[in-house]
Amino acid sequence: MSFWKNNFLYLAKIIFLSILDALAVWSATILFTEHKYIFLTILIVVTAIINFIYLSKKAYPLRYIFPGTFFMILLVVYPIFYTVYVSFTNYGTGHILSKDQVIEQLENRYYLPGDSQDFSYEAFKLPNEKEYAILLNDKQGNLYLAINQNIEEINAGDPRLRDPDGDGTIDQVKNYKRLSRGDLLKNLSTLQNLEIPFNDNILKMKSLNAFSLYRQQYKYVASEDKILDIKNNVEYFPKKGSFASSEGEKLLPGFRTFLGWENYLTLLTDERVQGPFLRVFLWTFEWAILSVVTTFALGLFMAILLNDESLRFKKIYRVILILPYALPAFISVLIWRGLLNTEVGVVNQILQTLSLDTIPWLQSVFWSRFALIVINLWLGFPYMMLISLGALQSIPNDLYEAAAIDGATGWQRFKNITLPLILVSIGPLLISSFAFNFNNFNVIYLFNEGGPPIVGAQTPAGGTDILISYTYRLSFESGRGADFGLASAVSIIIFMITAVITWFNFKYTGALEEVKENV
Amino acid sequence: MKKFVVFLLVLTMLFSINALVAASEEGKLLIWADENRIKVLNSVKDQFEAEYGIPVEIQEKAFGDIRDNMAVEAPSGEGPDIIVGAHDWLGALVSNGLIAPIELGDKRDDFYDVAINAFSWGENVYAVPYAIEAVGLIYNKDIVPDPPTSFSAFEAIVRNITDKEEEMYGFIMPQPDPYHTFPFMSGPGGYVFGTNDEGVLNPNDVGLNNEGAVLGLQKLDNLYEDGVVPFVDYQTMTSLFTNGQVGMMLTGPWALPALEEAGIDYGFTQLPKIEGNPPKPFVGVQGFMISAFSKNKILAQAFLNEFIANKETMLDLYETGSRPPVYLPAAEEASDNPDVAGVLKSAADGTPMPSIPEMASVWEAWSDALELVLTQKQDVKPALDNAVEQIEKAIEASQ
Repeated sequence: MSFWKNNFLYLAKIIFLSILDALAVWSATILFTEHKYIFLTILIVVTAIINFIYLSKKAYPLRYIFPGTFFMILLVVYPIFYTVYVSFTNYGTGHILSKDQVIEQLENRYYLPGDSQDFSYEAFKLPNEKEYAILLNDKQGNLYLAINQNIEEINAGDPRLRDPDGDGTIDQVKNYKRLSRGDLLKNLSTLQNLEIPFNDNILKMKSLNAFSLYRQQYKYVASEDKILDIKNNVEYFPKKGSFASSEGEKLLPGFRTFLGWENYLTLLTDERVQGPFLRVFLWTFEWAILSVVTTFALGLFMAILLNDESLRFKKIYRVILILPYALPAFISVLIWRGLLNTEVGVVNQILQTLSLDTIPWLQSVFWSRFALIVINLWLGFPYMMLISLGALQSIPNDLYEAAAIDGATGWQRFKNITLPLILVSIGPLLISSFAFNFNNFNVIYLFNEGGPPIVGAQTPAGGTDILISYTYRLSFESGRGADFGLASAVSIIIFMITAVITWFNFKYTGALEEVKENV
Repeated sequence: MKKFVVFLLVLTMLFSINALVAASEEGKLLIWADENRIKVLNSVKDQFEAEYGIPVEIQEKAFGDIRDNMAVEAPSGEGPDIIVGAHDWLGALVSNGLIAPIELGDKRDDFYDVAINAFSWGENVYAVPYAIEAVGLIYNKDIVPDPPTSFSAFEAIVRNITDKEEEMYGFIMPQPDPYHTFPFMSGPGGYVFGTNDEGVLNPNDVGLNNEGAVLGLQKLDNLYEDGVVPFVDYQTMTSLFTNGQVGMMLTGPWALPALEEAGIDYGFTQLPKIEGNPPKPFVGVQGFMISAFSKNKILAQAFLNEFIANKETMLDLYETGSRPPVYLPAAEEASDNPDVAGVLKSAADGTPMPSIPEMASVWEAWSDALELVLTQKQDVKPALDNAVEQIEKAIEASQ
């Protein structure tokens, strides 16, 4: 039995590796022809490692670690490095393409010279070869014949034009056969790239029905790294991701390029960033701390209530209390937004019927912050309740019994037993919840898009904007649209801020160490 | 089992690498279109395939995703040949080098000039336009039998109808919403970007705080300040209107199908003149564009010129999209519908929404100013001054 099993596994392994290697070879040839050498190298290295690991006895333990590590690198480490890389570039609106792509586009830009005209045409093709003859007819009735790169004026009686069936259309030019419309379309990929020199101009396909005279407008001079505008005789040199003339005129499109520390310097020096930074930064802290404290307090309170043995209908309560967590936050935040609408929202209508003043939930900084904390409390307490319920189970009952014998009050029991013990196991989760809320873009943005606006602000930063939503505005809703370079720089800085805070938190609470001691 | 999972994962990874490098194909048209355009394109596709024998593939994307996905996929060779889009994307698409000019040939004269202009950049035209849209005044004929033509008449009607106790409103527009508010500001002379002598937009000349803009917004704000017009968003506006609680609302033709469904007897007309000046709403134009990375540009051009730019397809597009066509033969026929005529009239006074990428700096600052003004936190002039200052700084930083 085990013999078959072993052999079967061995066979499965060989089949798996064979298929994998076959795929790898196939991919490698494609990558090679596409000149994607970086991906090619990665592919070869990864395939080699996989083969080694699954064939060598020595690497046996790696079989279990490798897939996880591999995907961690692919899905976690690679994006981080990519973000770091992008933060040093100008990648964003107007700078999407690589420099080579831009040069190619510019060199393929043609203009119609003043004396340009359209030619109607017939195309002919050598059977079984990609060789074409084009018979062109200008508006004055002159005939031209282009074979390969040579074009000459001919007259209608030229012996090379053959019409064997005598129906008036030319069926053959030398041994080139006339292309029907369907065949023409099949050969379009080659035909549309034909460039036939004609005096100083180029004859190129203009549409399915016509050729026209063109001239190339731009030429790249590699030795001087410049673009020459042949039409207007202007030189353009690369400068910060665009080809620019000495007068500062830039050619579109621009290209992406390495900027060094510029995005980071912008964040440090730009007054638009600096102006509201402190206000936004402080509110981000308040928001994250208040979110954690309120959700934890309510969650723990509910958990203790649910944990009470004398409580009946526990299951029903539990289901109801978990509901906010089960609903998608995306929808519930929008519902809250509707409920709190100042003019027509239900909350204000209730206030009105009670003859109370309505509250400008979305228009006042204080009230929209207040509303956000409440909404996040509603969204977040079930999670805290769930983990507290679990943690409460792990507190040994004899501690409470001992406390009861010592005559401790309920509050004393909570303060001296429940809270310290529960914090030990939940502490790390609170810290991660803090980090999460620090960057909780969804709730902030869905509720009020960071608003309300602030009177006299230097840049559109609203009263509830946290760092991440504020920088989203800066990098995606201002300037010229998307600025991925700046956005990446910002996310790295925010990452460092959260990392430092988290590190201090762990250090200060000693959370991780104590877990080890107590469990 | 575990190995099998790993195997599947590796397999998908390898395939995705291949997908990454596979180039868009020659001799096959790939079109990105949104849900509404798909239906029409599918029948066009059949005609094209039958006539030319060339396969056409149509991929559905959310309208807004088309532009964003272009920036990622087109440069890596994964993009489509043809996209459906709006003219205000033009600046970003051209400065990103993602779309190619189109040779319209003789068909150029068959379109409204405003539609061709909206899709022009320099000397080139970048789309076959198919629809136009502009906001106007939509009124409930049961409440407002005769729509006002002057702002003073408009104001009188609004004040007369509004009764907060009864939850009846004379006029509602979505706020804070620069797009919808622009006609009030542009009528008396406000503008977003000025133009230079050649008619090219100048991002360094922002006219949102000039005398006309301030005057227009002030007139509108008087209604908000007196509590006659509620400060609500688009959804609230349309739901109140379909409930029959609103006399007039300001929005575009996209709101009309819902009104028809709700059985409201409505009319679509131009906004009232402000001191004799017709309001100039933003005009939006939709069209078909060709990717700069297409390997079938001539073919794509033939597809658009022959199979899209014809009366039948344009009318189909009008019927599924409920926006007036800009192809003259189709527009003539569609104008029998009073809604279409209304939108076309409104658009005729309008100005194309600026398509330069700098427009990204404008929306937020402008929207914030509107909110501050209309919720009575700041006066019109300082709020608009501040907005323009924000816009100028943001544009300066991007140059």
